[in-house]
Amino acid sequence: MKSKKYSEALLNLFKKKGFKVKEFENIIESRIIIERSGEIFKKSLLSFEDDNGRNFSLRPDLTISACLDYIKNVKEGTYKYAYFDQAYRRTFGKESLVRNQLGCEIIGSSNFKSNAEIVNLIDQSLKKVIKDKTTIKINDINIFYSLVDSLKLPSRWRFRLKRHFWRHDYFDELITRLESNSDLQKNVFELDKKSYFKMKESKQNEKIAGRKINEILDRFEKKIKEPRSNINGTRVARIIRNFLKINCPFKNAKNELKKFEIKNKIDLKLNQFDVFDLNLKNKDALFSSNIGRSVEYYTGIVFEIYKKSKNLNLASGGRYDNLMQILGAKNKVAAIGGAINYDNILKL
Amino acid sequence: MNKLIKIGLPSKGRLKDESLKIFKKNNLSIKDSKRNYLSEIKNFSLNEVIFSHAREIVDRLADNSLDIGISGYDLLKESLPGIQKNIQVFSRLNFGFANLIVAVPDAWIDVQTIADLEEISFELKDKNISKLRVATKYPNLTNDFLLSKGLTQYKIINSLGSTEIYPFTGQSEIITDISSSGATLKANKLRILKDGDILKSSACILVSKKSLRDKLKNKIVKNLLKKIS
Repeated sequence: MKSKKYSEALLNLFKKKGFKVKEFENIIESRIIIERSGEIFKKSLLSFEDDNGRNFSLRPDLTISACLDYIKNVKEGTYKYAYFDQAYRRTFGKESLVRNQLGCEIIGSSNFKSNAEIVNLIDQSLKKVIKDKTTIKINDINIFYSLVDSLKLPSRWRFRLKRHFWRHDYFDELITRLESNSDLQKNVFELDKKSYFKMKESKQNEKIAGRKINEILDRFEKKIKEPRSNINGTRVARIIRNFLKINCPFKNAKNELKKFEIKNKIDLKLNQFDVFDLNLKNKDALFSSNIGRSVEYYTGIVFEIYKKSKNLNLASGGRYDNLMQILGAKNKVAAIGGAINYDNILKL
Repeated sequence: MNKLIKIGLPSKGRLKDESLKIFKKNNLSIKDSKRNYLSEIKNFSLNEVIFSHAREIVDRLADNSLDIGISGYDLLKESLPGIQKNIQVFSRLNFGFANLIVAVPDAWIDVQTIADLEEISFELKDKNISKLRVATKYPNLTNDFLLSKGLTQYKIINSLGSTEIYPFTGQSEIITDISSSGATLKANKLRILKDGDILKSSACILVSKKSLRDKLKNKIVKNLLKKIS
């Protein structure tokens, strides 16, 4: 009963704010997700095949369902989704296969105001169901990307650090590797140099396991020209680790980051970020450079909302401007959304 | 007649020969007629020895059709978590050594690590060619390993044999496979990545957890384990 009361109260509020409450299809064709995202989603899909060998899955996530609904039915313009329903994922521990998801999305809007609209709405909606004060943590993933671009690193290392920012354990492994001397195996490299000269004499358009010889040689040359031994890995690793410790009142964020720039002699190009101008109604807000690292598809502002007294996560969300294209939209469609941590709300 | 405990042994190859040696060395006599897949240990409590495919031994231990078995550690780890949770590894044995590894064509001289592979996977994706295809007999272990190393843009191609030739016949770009000496890989112009070790495997003695919970079987199973360990 508590669950129904809460969900109705929240959905009513979303409706009042112009969001349309939608129900999504339970079953989606797995190809739509797997072909574009690779094996990472496949592992969590609950899938089955029909007699023709077509593979289908139960919907794994309602943000993805909202995106697919937009691509199929809305196609253009701004659409505001709200939903409360179940998503289904394979689990490997004691977690339930079925999870309740309550959230809202603004798809088709890159407008800066949408960011504040979502964060304020989710925070405001929490006040409908809980009495406790909340704290909002804010970050923009692009500031980390800007940090990586400002550091003296080979391009392949920039790519890696950005790509794996959200994958905590592997990211830490990468930073540790950065501190070590080399990512080129010297003995193999010498052997490969012999092959390199031999391959130079071969037909350059010939393919070996799907790759042209000239592509292989180009990349090999690039690696030689950009050896990591030329950079100070220890310094770079220290700067990244210190950056990820920045946690300050949101109103001081820009100043704190400027101090960080001066101390480390780097340029984060802070003027290009509008996150600092976010108009938050809840003034109990922090800037935290280490949040928003749980979901791969976030591309900009990210937020997490906590119950202040217990530091219990109540909601989270962020901007995902590339997901629509990953899922099949022909053009880039900007979007932002957030979800309430419903299970934690029910615990209160 | 319902034999009290059932023992699964590999039905062919070196795994079978080495498994039988363990029993023989410990004065437990198993009649091996080469063609009959059923036998027994003559000088032990009521039992039945079933010669099966090593992969099947793992499944049968999980559903408790077998009580004890010898199989590869790789096959156990490849099975689903729901299967693994019903099986206890009693001991790793001193034979059947092999590593599950990631291998790329020798001529891919620009690729030394999984991180390199990741860049290649994006190159292929950006050119709209296809996903990087990984041929393997071990899709679960391969997925867990590649995803943990940050590779996501790939597609598993299930292979049942001769995996080493897949990259040169247009069926995949790279492979993961079991390798003991590396000779087969070398002969097929493949090489192991610097950080491409997925799993170190060997034969092992496995026990069904359900059998250990059965008072009567527990005693006999432990007695047999004591004799062969």
